[in-house]
Amino acid sequence: MIRSENGYFGEFGGRYVPEILLPALTELETMFHELRDDPTFWQEYVDLCQEFSGRPTPLTPLHRLSKQLGGAQIWLKREDLNHSGAHKINNVLGQGLLVKRMGKKRIIAETGAGQHGLATAIMAARMGLQATIYMGADDIERQYSNVFWMRQLGSEVVGVTTGARTLKEALDEALRDWAASVETTHYVLGTACGPAPFPELVTYFQSVISQEIREQAMKQMGRLPDEVVACVGGGSNALGAFSAFIDDKDVALVGVEAGGLSHKKGEHSIRMLPDTAEPGIAQGYKTLFLQDEDGQLGDTHSIAAGLDYVGVSPILAHLSQTGRVTPESATDVEVTEAFSLLMKTEGIIPALESSHGLAGGFKRAKSMRPDQHIVINLSGRGDKDIFNIARAFPQQEWSEFLMREAARCQQLVNDAAKENN
Amino acid sequence: MFPKQNDKLQVMSHAVVGFPTLDENEKAIAGLVNSGVNLIELQVPFSDPVADGHTLVNACYDALKTGGSVRATLELCANVSKQHPDASFILMSYLNPLYRYGLEKLFRDAAAAGFKGMIIPDMPVEQFEPHMALLDELGLAPILMVTPNTPDERVARIARSARGMVYVVSRMGVTGKQTQWGDEFRAYVDRIRKHTDLPLAIGFGVRSADDLKALTGTAEVAAFCSKYIEWQREDGSDVAAQKMRALITDAELA
Ligand SMILES: Cc1ncc(COP(=O)(O)O)c(C=O)c1O
Repeated sequence: MIRSENGYFGEFGGRYVPEILLPALTELETMFHELRDDPTFWQEYVDLCQEFSGRPTPLTPLHRLSKQLGGAQIWLKREDLNHSGAHKINNVLGQGLLVKRMGKKRIIAETGAGQHGLATAIMAARMGLQATIYMGADDIERQYSNVFWMRQLGSEVVGVTTGARTLKEALDEALRDWAASVETTHYVLGTACGPAPFPELVTYFQSVISQEIREQAMKQMGRLPDEVVACVGGGSNALGAFSAFIDDKDVALVGVEAGGLSHKKGEHSIRMLPDTAEPGIAQGYKTLFLQDEDGQLGDTHSIAAGLDYVGVSPILAHLSQTGRVTPESATDVEVTEAFSLLMKTEGIIPALESSHGLAGGFKRAKSMRPDQHIVINLSGRGDKDIFNIARAFPQQEWSEFLMREAARCQQLVNDAAKENN
Repeated sequence: MFPKQNDKLQVMSHAVVGFPTLDENEKAIAGLVNSGVNLIELQVPFSDPVADGHTLVNACYDALKTGGSVRATLELCANVSKQHPDASFILMSYLNPLYRYGLEKLFRDAAAAGFKGMIIPDMPVEQFEPHMALLDELGLAPILMVTPNTPDERVARIARSARGMVYVVSRMGVTGKQTQWGDEFRAYVDRIRKHTDLPLAIGFGVRSADDLKALTGTAEVAAFCSKYIEWQREDGSDVAAQKMRALITDAELA
C-alpha cells in the first residue's frame, strides 16, 4: 500500500493552498485516516463498485495480437468495462461514500476528457446531489459527447475560458469555487494530484484495480506479471494499476505519458522524463511541473484531453525518481496506430488516453519473451473519442452525415422556437 | 511603514507587475501615492492564481505577455521605493515563481529591493516557520492570512509568525466580489484581535467608499485592489488615480 509521510512522498506532495481550504482538507484527511484501515469500509466500497459498476473488471488475454507482435503475452485490465466507461468511476464512488458521511449536498469536479466529470455527474444523479463540473473550453470541444451526457444527467458544466482552456485551468477554477463553497461542497478531485490528502486518497480507491490484477494474474497466468503498463495523465489509473505491486520488485511498473507532436515546449505533456518538467509548487501541491524559468506553468499538448496536463501525481514524481516506476512516452501518431491495431485485431475500442498505455505496452511486449506476461491497464473505452478518431482517419461519408444531422437538429430547434412564439 | 494598532483606516492598493505595461506601473504607482495611498502590493503575475477572481486573473494573463516576472517585480520595487520613500511596498505572489527563484535568495533580494512585507496566498504558516529568523533579520514581514473558517488554535499559530499586519480575508471565496460587513463580520474581527496586537488589513470585497466607511474604526487597513485594477483597465492609470483620490475623500479618510 502507498502511504505518505505527513502528506509527502519524498520531496513531493504537501498541501500548499489558500488558508480558506485548509479546514476542509484536514477534515477530509482525518476522515480518510479513520476509514482506510477499517476493512468494513473497504468492503462497503468494493460492494458498491460491484453493484453499480460491475467490478471486478476482467483481465483479458490478447491471443491474436500477442502472437502477431511476437513477444510477451499481452493482457488488458478492462477498466473500460466500468459503468461510465473508465476507471474514473472507482474514485468517484469512493468519494461518494465520504460525501455521504460528511452530509454535504453539493459536489464540484474538474475534468479533462470528461470521464471524471461524467462519473461525477452519475454519482450526483444517483445520490441526489447538486453537481458543477469545470471543464476547459477547448476540452469541451474535444469531448463534447461527455459534456452532452453530463448535462443530460442534470449536472452544470462550466466551460473555463482562461489560459490554455484545458485541464489545468479547470482545476484552478474548481479550487476557486471551493474557496467560496467549501462549507457545503465537497471537491471530488479526479486524479492522484492536488493538495494532501487527495493523491493518497484517490490512489487508495483506485488500488482496487491492482488488487484485482494480482488475484486474476495468479489464477489466469499462475504467477504475477512481469510488467504492468498504464497511461499517465494525473496518474490515477497508473497508481491504481501499480499500487498492489509496489513491493514486488520483479514486477516492472511502466507509466506512459503523452508525447504529443514532439518534445518541443508546448507540444507534449511529458513530465517524468529528463529535460521536461521541473519541481514546482502549484495547484496545491509540489510535483514535477512543466514550467518556464520564472515558474509560470507551461502549455501542454496531447491528442488525449485526459493526459493534457502540466503536473503529475506527486506519488509518481517520487516513484519515477526512485526508479520504481519507469517513465515512457508515446506520440499522437503512435497512439492512433495502437488504437487501430487493438480495435482491428481484438475488437476492443480503447480511449485515446488508454491508447498511450497500449502504444507503450506493445513496444515493450515486442522486446520481451513469449513466456513473459505484460498487463496493460485499459483505463477507458473509446466511444467518447468518436469525433477525434473520425478526424484522425478523415472520411467524406462521416462529414456528410454530420452535415445532414446538423441540419435535422437545427430544424427541430427552429420548430420548437416557432411553437413557443 | 505599517500602521500601528488603532491607527485610522488606510487604503492599501495594488499593482499587477506588467499590467498594463511595466512602464505604466511606475506611473500608476506615482498616481496612487499622490492620491494618498501609502501601502501598495506589487503582484508577481502568475499563470494559475487560484485565490484570485476574474479581474486579477485576467490582469495576470495580460501582465505575463508584457514581461511581468519576479525579476521585473524586484526591479520595479527598487525604483518605486526610492521614488516614494514614505510608501511601503508589499510583495504579493503565488509560491511557485518565488520557489523557482529560490526562496532564501528571493527573501534577501526582496528586502534589498525595498520590500517591507510579503503576501503569498498559497504558502501556509508551516512553510514560513523555518524562515522566520532570516525574515526577522531582513525586516521582511510575512503578512499572513486568516479566513472566517480558520480555527482559533490556527489563528494563534498564524499570529505567532505574522509580522507587520495580519491579513483578514473578509469572507469565503476569491478576490473581486462584494462583501457584507454585518455583525458576523465584526465578531470575526474581534475573534482575530484576541490573538494579535498587530494591525489588521481587511481584504476581499472592498469596492466602494461605503465599504471603507464600514471598516473605519474596525480595522487599520483596507485592501482596495480588484476594483482599482478594474478602473485601470477601463479608464487608464491616470483616471484610476483620480478615482482613488475621490474614493479616499468620499470615505473621509483624506
Ligand atoms: C480513460 C482515461 N484514462 C486516463 C486518464 C488520465 O487520468 P489518470 O492519469 O488520472 O488516470 C483519463 C482522464 O481523463 C481518462 O479519461
